[in-house]
Formats: sequence, C-alpha cells, structure tokens
Amino acid sequence: MSAGFCAVQWNRDKLVYDGVLLAAVALYIGTFMAVSYWIEPPKTLPDAIDVRIRAFGSCAFVMLTIILAIGPLARIDPRFLKFLYNRRHFGVLTFIVAALHAVFMLEWYAARGELPNLVVELTTWSDYGKFIGFPFKAFGVAALVVLLLLAVTSHDFWLAFLTPPVWKALHMSLYVAYGLVVMHVALGIMQYDRNPLIPAMLIVSFAGVTGLHLVAGWRERAGDRGTTIGSDGWIAVGPPQAIPDKGALIVATQGGERIAVFRDGVQIGALTNACAHQNGPIGEGRIVDGCVTCPWHGWQYRLVDGCAPPPFTEKLATYPVRLRAGVVEVFPDALAPGTPAAITVQSS
Amino acid sequence: MKRRHRSIHRTIWLVLAVLVGLGLTMSLILRAPPEAPTPVASKP
Repeated sequence: MSAGFCAVQWNRDKLVYDGVLLAAVALYIGTFMAVSYWIEPPKTLPDAIDVRIRAFGSCAFVMLTIILAIGPLARIDPRFLKFLYNRRHFGVLTFIVAALHAVFMLEWYAARGELPNLVVELTTWSDYGKFIGFPFKAFGVAALVVLLLLAVTSHDFWLAFLTPPVWKALHMSLYVAYGLVVMHVALGIMQYDRNPLIPAMLIVSFAGVTGLHLVAGWRERAGDRGTTIGSDGWIAVGPPQAIPDKGALIVATQGGERIAVFRDGVQIGALTNACAHQNGPIGEGRIVDGCVTCPWHGWQYRLVDGCAPPPFTEKLATYPVRLRAGVVEVFPDALAPGTPAAITVQSS
Repeated sequence: MKRRHRSIHRTIWLVLAVLVGLGLTMSLILRAPPEAPTPVASKP
C-alpha cells in the first residue's frame, strides 16, 4: 500500500472524482427528462414514471458502457489510467441508478394497479422458450442481482477477505451482466419503440466495448508469449540503460507469470508484475518517493525487497537479478515475498 | 492480472461477442415491422 494512501478516509482525488460523477449523472438524467417533457409532455402519472424509467435505465447503460471501456482503454493508452482510480465508486453509483430504474418500473405497475401482472410476466414459463416475446425483464433482474453482488463486495475488506484472484474473478461477472443488459434492451424497449437511436446506441456501445476488450486482450496475449530462457536458466533483460530510470521492463517466461525489472538510478530489482492489491500491472508503474508504485491505485513497495513501506505489511515476490557481460539478467523462479534481491550496478 | 485471468478475460469476451452479437442481430431482424400509418378517409 502507498505511504500516502488512506484506505477508508476520503481524499481529495476521490471527492473530485465522485463530485464529477454525480454532477454528470444529474446532468444526464435532468437533460433526458427535460427533453422528453419538451417533446411529449406526459399526460398521466404512468407516462411520467415511464420517462423516469427510461432516463435512469439509459443512464445506467451508458455508465456500464463507460466502466467497461475504462479497463481496456487504460491498457491501450496509459493516459486513461486516471479514470481507473476510484472506478469502484463509479460501479456502485451505476448499481444505484440501475436499482432506481427497477424501483420506478415497480412504481409504474403499481400506478396502473397492475403489479400482479409483473409476476405473471416473469413466471409465464412458456415465454422463456420464445426469442421475440422472451420475458426481457428477467435479463434486467439477473443483471441487477450481479450488480448488487459486485457493489456489496466492492470494498477493500472483501478484496482482502476473498483474495485478489477470487475477487477479480467474481468481478469479471460484470461482463456477463453487460451482455444481459444489452439483451434486456434489445428484447425490451427496442421491440416496441421505433426510435432509431435505441438500436444505434446498443450497437455502437456493445461493438465499441467488445472491440476494445478484444484489442486489449490481443495485445496482452503477445506479452504472454514469453522470453527465451538461457541455457543456465536466466532471462536476458538488456543493458541497465535499456531499463528506463524510475521505470521497468516487463519480461515473461513461456507459460509463466510476468516479471517487472525496475531501475532506480544504479539500483536494479525484479518484482512480480502483479500488485498485491488487485493484481494490477505494477511494471507499468513508476518509482515514486523511492517506492515502486502501482499505476492502478498507487500501492507502493520497496524495490530492494518488495515490502510495502511501514506501517503497511504487504509483500511482493522478488526475483534474483544479476549483471553479466553488461546485460541485466533475471532468474524466473520467484523468491519468497519480501526477500531482498536488488543489485547495484556501476553508473556509466 | 495474472496469466490465468488474462486468459479467462479473452475467452469471456470472445464468447460474449459471439452470443450477444448474435442475439442483438436476431432481435433486430425479427423485430416486428413498424405499424403502417392509418389511411386518411378520402371524400367522395
């Protein structure tokens, strides 16, 4: 963890992030409702509720699309990394907006005195065998359940309790939730509202997010191919000056995990490329205040031994490094987390 | 992310792209045609 990071307390960055987020959501919903009222003022209470359902539903969809685009965009272009910070608050707010969409839907049925019809709609099992006519609200309910699960487990307590690999796998279910939401819209409002903006929004959003994830995944695949290991088992990284100062070169063995080889002036050390927090790509971070700093959330570790600075206790696995014939080499068998392994090379 | 997660990530998005892409295309193709406008009665 970072020496300047507060796990629970708010900090300025989080307040600004959340402030901008809330303002954007309020602006979207306000504009949507104002334009809807201007085009066709609602004549009845259910009509007015329907505008709210659409405003909050479309807002949740846009938010989900943005959330899912941030990850691959940050992989493709580091300038998007700043949007990754505090993304969990973005996710929790998306769940709240989606839940309000569902509440307004219940209110719509109640205002028409047709609440039992909703139950009938969801329990007419024969409709589940249809494509057009499928109870699309079931997709929405399923997606909302996933979003609830992710919002509840978004805190760092659950991250530590479940361990980063399990937590990360659980939160990948957001991808499935997105697919459910796309089908919720495609088999729902898109079937009875002929507004061409609806299919256009769906196609552009889904194709965009999918394309970004596939491109980012393809690039990552190339990085996983691995480097050839020398006959003595060491991997050549390159001359010390090839490693950017305060930065890292990332190497990987074939079928193994990635290793981040950092240089801080004349000191060179190798750490696992997975941050202890969320398994973020620590090798894409920088050395800040003498510590290797994860680009995702700013968790920090000492280069010399992979230990977080006091009072934090997280440790990363380190790797043996050596300088041989002017070339930095790393041995791909990880040492126990916290084992000092950095070396000092002569400045050129 | 670790290698296993990157691999799962790639698989999920490939499957999603195919399944949801197919579902979206089908829902567009099978969508009921728009209602024809009601003809205005002409005077004799």
